[in-house]
Amino acid sequence: MDDQNYILFENYLSGSLTEDEIASFENKLKNNTAFNTEFTTYKELSVFLEHKFQRKEDSTAFRQNLKRISNSYFEKLETPKKSIKFKTWQYVIAASVVLFFGIQFFNSLVTPTYAKYANYDTISLTVRGSQNKLLTNAEEAFNSKNFVKAEVYFTQLLEADNNNSELKLYKAVSQIELNKYTEADEMLTTLSRGGSIYKNKAAWYLALSKLKQKDYKASIEVLKTIPKDADDYKNAQKLLKELD
Amino acid sequence: MSKKKIHEDQKYIEGLQQNNSFIIQTIYDKFVPKVINYIKNNNGNLNQAQDVIQEILIVIYNQANEKKLQLTCPFDAYFFLLCKRKWLNELKKYSLKEVTINDEVLSKDDDAEQLAFETSIFAEKQVLFNEMFQKLGNACKDLLKSTFKIKSMEEVASILGVSYAYARKKKSQCIGKLTKLVQESPTFNQLKN
Repeated sequence: MDDQNYILFENYLSGSLTEDEIASFENKLKNNTAFNTEFTTYKELSVFLEHKFQRKEDSTAFRQNLKRISNSYFEKLETPKKSIKFKTWQYVIAASVVLFFGIQFFNSLVTPTYAKYANYDTISLTVRGSQNKLLTNAEEAFNSKNFVKAEVYFTQLLEADNNNSELKLYKAVSQIELNKYTEADEMLTTLSRGGSIYKNKAAWYLALSKLKQKDYKASIEVLKTIPKDADDYKNAQKLLKELD
Repeated sequence: MSKKKIHEDQKYIEGLQQNNSFIIQTIYDKFVPKVINYIKNNNGNLNQAQDVIQEILIVIYNQANEKKLQLTCPFDAYFFLLCKRKWLNELKKYSLKEVTINDEVLSKDDDAEQLAFETSIFAEKQVLFNEMFQKLGNACKDLLKSTFKIKSMEEVASILGVSYAYARKKKSQCIGKLTKLVQESPTFNQLKN
């Protein structure tokens, strides 16, 4: 009897029951408490096992990363603060160090600009041998920094292919260049929350858009979401430091 | 279940879930000092604080991945409550001497109480599930390991040299066995909420 139940659970969870079978299964869940409890535990265990075995690598990576951050945080707390007696020559050194950092600090006050970070690589949209004139036009316009034209071409391309994340990304970049921030930011926000491979790129350009708008706070917020494995992680960290 | 508004601090949960170093660092900078203070004021030291915090963050990571964890209160309140509970449990476990607890930092946040409660149940279930998994026979352990590592049951069947139908049946029987072990354990009945 029990075994039959387990097979039923498995079929329900894997979606291999017919509509009628699902209805009667769900009805039983409602009316039979023991059956319900058993199914709930079965389901919980399935999720548990999936996490335990399938995502083992993710989980190990997380633990290691956490340990590293935790250790460095607590090491800093544990370093005792010693009082040091200075000699005159040490004062001189200290003073020059202060001066040096002073200058560095002054330099860091100069806010970073969009132009410094907005280095696009040339893009390549066309597949060899393909004859899509519009794609070629869009690519050429973008690469020659003619963003007015590029935006028009990307819009046309998206009319035919409105789920293409890559095209959306480049359209948004063109719009940043044209100061059409509202549209650009909206598109980039959606992309950065989606599941495409352009997700992190979109976040990076969104941060740059905010930078160009001098909305530094928003830029920082976005930069913080760019994960370590993103192509632009280093740039993001660098920009974050400058914005801080 | 009424739909409550998700707190903006959900970003910390998502950051943990995605192993985002920046978010983890922010959690340490922003929320950990309060926990350290609490533990130090209540018969603990830095090392113990470090362990408690790390374990709680792992639990949150696991819960975020396995169940949808939706924060309806500030992260601070939720995180602090979890660490505090964990520390008080440790004290109960190891300390024979009378412990004075300096409990002026009270949480008045019901949502935080509820969420922290759910998370601690989750954590105890994880321990229980792991324990019970170890009690399974090797055949079941191996089969479950491979079925969950390799998504396709067809592949699993061919690796194990059995038919697809048999592999599926075995999988359900093994999880079934585990279900029974879990339900029969005394801890499970205490955890049912």
